[in-house]
Amino acid sequence: MPRERLKILFWQLAILVGTFCVWEWGWELRKVAGFKPFVPSILDPYFISKPSAIWTSFLKLGCFSDKAGFAACFNGNANNLWLATMVTLKNMWWGFLFGTSAGILAGLVLGRSDYLSKIFSPYIVAMNSIPRIALVPLIILMFGLGDMSKIVTACIVVFFVVFFNTFEGTRAVDRDQIAAARLLGASELTVLRTVVIPSALAWVFASLTPAVSFALIGVIVGEFIGAERGLGKLIIEAEARANAAEMMVTIFVMMIVGIILAYIVRRVQSYLLRWQPQFEQQH
Amino acid sequence: MNVSPAVATAAMAMVPSRITVENLDKRYRTATSDVVAVENVSFAVGKGEFVALLGPSGCGKSTILNMVAGLLPRSGGRIRIDADEVVQGEVNRKVGYVFQRDTVFPWRTVEANIGYGLEIAGVPKAEREARVARAIEMAGLAGFARSFPRQLSGGMRQRVALMRTLIMEPEILLMDEPFGALDTHTKLEMHKTLLDIWERERQTVLFVTHDLGEALTLASRIILLSARPGRLKEDFEVPFARPRDAVTLRETEEFGRLYSHIWHSLGEEFRRTKAE
Repeated sequence: MPRERLKILFWQLAILVGTFCVWEWGWELRKVAGFKPFVPSILDPYFISKPSAIWTSFLKLGCFSDKAGFAACFNGNANNLWLATMVTLKNMWWGFLFGTSAGILAGLVLGRSDYLSKIFSPYIVAMNSIPRIALVPLIILMFGLGDMSKIVTACIVVFFVVFFNTFEGTRAVDRDQIAAARLLGASELTVLRTVVIPSALAWVFASLTPAVSFALIGVIVGEFIGAERGLGKLIIEAEARANAAEMMVTIFVMMIVGIILAYIVRRVQSYLLRWQPQFEQQH
Repeated sequence: MNVSPAVATAAMAMVPSRITVENLDKRYRTATSDVVAVENVSFAVGKGEFVALLGPSGCGKSTILNMVAGLLPRSGGRIRIDADEVVQGEVNRKVGYVFQRDTVFPWRTVEANIGYGLEIAGVPKAEREARVARAIEMAGLAGFARSFPRQLSGGMRQRVALMRTLIMEPEILLMDEPFGALDTHTKLEMHKTLLDIWERERQTVLFVTHDLGEALTLASRIILLSARPGRLKEDFEVPFARPRDAVTLRETEEFGRLYSHIWHSLGEEFRRTKAE
């Protein structure tokens, strides 16, 4: 119904504009005597900055407003906004890739073998109960301040999410479907390739959307605790200077990165799982 | 070794038997007791015979079928396909099997489901496509080749499952209440399709059902099992001429007579099941 969609769009825009207006001008209302008690101090631009200041900071960090020109600014700062984003994305990608691959592989193997899953289950439960962030200082100690420690952090965070889902998905494969495949001549490996994996794929994908955000969290936390570059490093530097606007710029960049990556996963998912009813409309 | 009556029947008819079951036993051990599911069952299915295994639910008829298919280990007795013993704990690849439950692969299209066995056997694409197209035609699924199973009705999905098995051209076909989940009308349609195919190709069929009408419509012979523990109760020839018409056959007097005769025998077993 287009009318209803229009209404929804209207409210979405209203919330966006309203939020930005309060953010930009809300604090100014304090100057009007009657409004003062109604303006909470959290609106202080010292804490949350304001959209215009964030935009100015963005132009500065993004090398758009530098007097020396974009190229000179870009080359002069090894951790400018663009390079920092690239570094964070790159580390996130490798962490996501290794973590997901290892998670899927381990999930399939343990899911298919009762024997192995019984042996490993107490260790997996024990490992899983460690808050992953507690490992970050140790990982930095082991792998240094460079990119490797961030990749390892993201990898570990992603691994468990994907592993548990793949394991459950492998367990949930219909036994009669496996028997049917065997009776039609499938070997153990063919059953794995043509029945177990496609069947478990829905479960694997259910974990990939959170895995993408977890990979981002993993890398950022790694950069907070010790790094030479990356978006997390930008935030920590801005915090040292109490520069809320710069922190906000970085947060917005992370948000956009997160939205784009989630969208990509969703598209791949809806193509690969097009046999499932919930993805019917999209193709 | 004693020769069981069913084996003798097949021998007398001078038909080489393709499925031979001798003194088959199946016992389960539960936490509280030992359950005897199947006890000392012997029968033989001759080449090109369509045998229905009929009995009340829980009588172990599906268990027998699954033991023939190698999907379940047996507790005692022998099962042979031709001269070869069915190996314990190994799926029997000499038979085609159609499940009662929907086992089509939901992530494969209709044509990819039907072509599954050919694909993993490495049949060249061109030949595979031609055979799949013929099977789709035969099953009345024209126009649905690219559909996914969720877009099909239950009856159509079972046609896909049937063709997925039949395309492998199995000489021996095991069917476990394949139309049990379908409504009466769809079931009748499936009977027509199956009769068409079987009367042309004359596979050796062992068909498990609890539906007497279905058994009489399709089978050349009905083996009646007793309530649990499943034992061989009676063995009927179904003399109706072929080709049969799944609909008009049911209206004949002969059908009615045989139906009520077996019904009484079956009824005793249903009552025994209820009494337990």
